[in-house]
Amino acid sequence: MTTPHEPIDAGLAAAQEALVRHMTAGGPLPPGFDADAVHAAAVAILRKRAGAAARAWPRLATAYGPGWTEAFTAWAAERPTRGSLHDAWDFALARRDALPPPAAWELALAETRWAYDGDAPPRRRTVAVRRVPGGYAVQVRGRTRVFGKARAGDRQTRPGNPSSHYGLDQ
Amino acid sequence: MTGPALPSGVGLGWRPDIAGFVAELPGLGFTEVIAESVHLDHPSRHLLELRDRGVPVVPHGVRLSLGGAEPVADERVAHLAACAAALGAPLVSEHIAFVRAGGIEAGHLLPVPRTRAALKVLAANIRRTQDGLPVPLAVEPIAALFDWPDAEYEEGDFLTELVERTGVLLLLDVANVYANARNRGADPAALLDRVPLERVAYCHVAGGAESGGRYHDTHTAPVPAEVLDLIKELCARRGPPGLLLERDGHYPPAAELRAELDAIAAAAGLAAVT
Repeated sequence: MTTPHEPIDAGLAAAQEALVRHMTAGGPLPPGFDADAVHAAAVAILRKRAGAAARAWPRLATAYGPGWTEAFTAWAAERPTRGSLHDAWDFALARRDALPPPAAWELALAETRWAYDGDAPPRRRTVAVRRVPGGYAVQVRGRTRVFGKARAGDRQTRPGNPSSHYGLDQ
Repeated sequence: MTGPALPSGVGLGWRPDIAGFVAELPGLGFTEVIAESVHLDHPSRHLLELRDRGVPVVPHGVRLSLGGAEPVADERVAHLAACAAALGAPLVSEHIAFVRAGGIEAGHLLPVPRTRAALKVLAANIRRTQDGLPVPLAVEPIAALFDWPDAEYEEGDFLTELVERTGVLLLLDVANVYANARNRGADPAALLDRVPLERVAYCHVAGGAESGGRYHDTHTAPVPAEVLDLIKELCARRGPPGLLLERDGHYPPAAELRAELDAIAAAAGLAAVT
């Protein structure tokens, strides 16, 4: 990952960090900025994150329907992004017990493929079994099969793939 | 300038959702791919086919943080360099922006203060990047909804100074120029008289949307007439640069996307690519 470096300019580094903390982590607005304009930019970034998270985990977002952007941005407002995959996964973990069934399905399938503790980057599992709504998902060496009464269409689901989405935002 | 020719004609940003459409444009002048989305061990077949057809493919970075107060990360520069080599790119582009600070990701491109201190940092990071690249670097002024306080330069003077210090090329986003001017009640054409247009390697064009009294450069809407007018203003001041349409979602039917590309070509007096 990124090699740590001493700042080229410590004063500018502190000013940039204060601005980013305000926009992503609930820090105070640094003096001199137009509060409304900075807020508009922060909201635009949150909405962009909601869109990227929806592309990473489409069933999660679809399960929330038109309320996705509001639900995600409310949760993300003071949580800086660690990439769209983390955003979606962390949101799903935070709501694990209240997820709509298609979203619970996507989380379960993701957890059959990847080991993720909510902190370090997800690691691929070689084998896993998870309960999904209406049955069980079994994953062996990247191939997942679902057993039980789960609907056939659900078996096609491929949850967010860290290799293509991890850490990326345009 | 030496090396492969700069992009020319009308281009369209390569995105996985429209890869087939991009590949089938008969007169495509060039394309651009988000560098951080390129997997060097298995690059997209579509991109390699475009390269092999002789269509210039420009790696466009979004996460380097040239304007950040820390030195740019060597591995990010190395990735841009490897993308340029793999795609046979004539140049690489990035942004005049910072995207993280103190280990926190902002989630998007943020503006830098127009101060002597920020200029010094940008110049150092641009030189560090140029040293690691096999091709020239172009940097893009961003659309920003806010400015830092206590600016010591006008935008045009800031860009001119940056170009003079580093020899960097510019990627002028006509839609960003429009958005920034509109949100500040300024004349977008005025900036065209203040930047070294001969250093513009190519241009971006995109559409946006009004929300909450501000114009957002969303890349998800048709290019507005005002941006097409600004292309005409630009081409009245210098020969038409390469013009690349950026579309990042809400992809319209193919006929509408072709009409967008044709409108850009018409505004610049270039041949249609569709």
